[in-house]
Amino acid sequence: MATLGPCDRRGGLSARLAALLMNLTVYPLLILWTLLGLVTLPLTLPLIRLVTGWSVQRTMRYIIWVYGQGWLLIMRPFIRFETQGLDPDRLRAPAILVVNHLSFFDTYCMALLPCFDVNFAVRSWPFRMIFYGFIMRRAGYLDVESMTWREALAAGQEVLAQPALQLFFPEGHRSRDGRLQRFYSGAFRLATETGTKLIPLCLTGTDTLLPPGRFRLRPARVRLHALDPVDPADFPGENGHVAMRKAVKERMRRHLEGLEERRC
Amino acid sequence: MTDQEIIERIDTSLAEEFELDLADMVPEATIYEDLGLDSLDTVDMVIVLEAAFKFKIREEAAIREIRTLGDIHNFVIDKYRRQDGAA
Repeated sequence: MATLGPCDRRGGLSARLAALLMNLTVYPLLILWTLLGLVTLPLTLPLIRLVTGWSVQRTMRYIIWVYGQGWLLIMRPFIRFETQGLDPDRLRAPAILVVNHLSFFDTYCMALLPCFDVNFAVRSWPFRMIFYGFIMRRAGYLDVESMTWREALAAGQEVLAQPALQLFFPEGHRSRDGRLQRFYSGAFRLATETGTKLIPLCLTGTDTLLPPGRFRLRPARVRLHALDPVDPADFPGENGHVAMRKAVKERMRRHLEGLEERRC
Repeated sequence: MTDQEIIERIDTSLAEEFELDLADMVPEATIYEDLGLDSLDTVDMVIVLEAAFKFKIREEAAIREIRTLGDIHNFVIDKYRRQDGAA
């Protein structure tokens, strides 16, 4: 089946049929894939641990990453994925990742990363969902909304010491208009406090795939680009994390603008 | 500096630091819910205010009672006047 990008939506009837086909196939397949993952979890979790000797957190992150590979497979007939800069050496742990936020499916797109040991910092509401909450707690995800910044900092330090990648959506919410919103400082404070490199990730196209407040999927071209790592040593002083936050946001803004111009 | 000038300096400093819309910066705006700041932002806010007014406030107990932007205005005006009187 031919893949379709957002510009193909101009194609009229064929594009509408592709969107219809996407909605009729992707949702049932996702439900089946999710159920399969949940049902087999009591078996896969101890089995992988037995074979690898990994911790519960690392094993659960691996299972989540494998689940994400299935998501990519289901989506590929309708989504053209394009990555840049996702070099395993560049993304070697410990590192902090920050990514802009456009859609519910942004977290799923992190399956495009070449490494599985990625710990997410998320808001409180997903932890209140029965299965999501259980899995995220087992994976060690940070509920940054319920923590004081000192608790979040300590938990982030622990993740980096494992060593693993700690990922933040510094906007905190999905953007409603595609533009970068204000950035919160947590990721940058963690970087300056621990001296850990920070890698900005720029994501586009997921707002076409599934924008906030919608349920109908649309074929899209999704791009995930990793920018050059940022060294916190370049931002000294008590307020270094703020300067780092502003510099990283500006770099991401410029890169996203460039991607937007190439969107079609 | 008049009270109004102090308020304007507070609002512009915080707006620039936290990318806030000046139109949302009304005295009754709560720091967490209305302005959307988090606990780390409040730590940064102290640094911003100290830099803007050249005084130290991080050790002051009253700062922990701040809930709204109006509380910040009153706290800073009071601190500024006390410092001004002592000078």
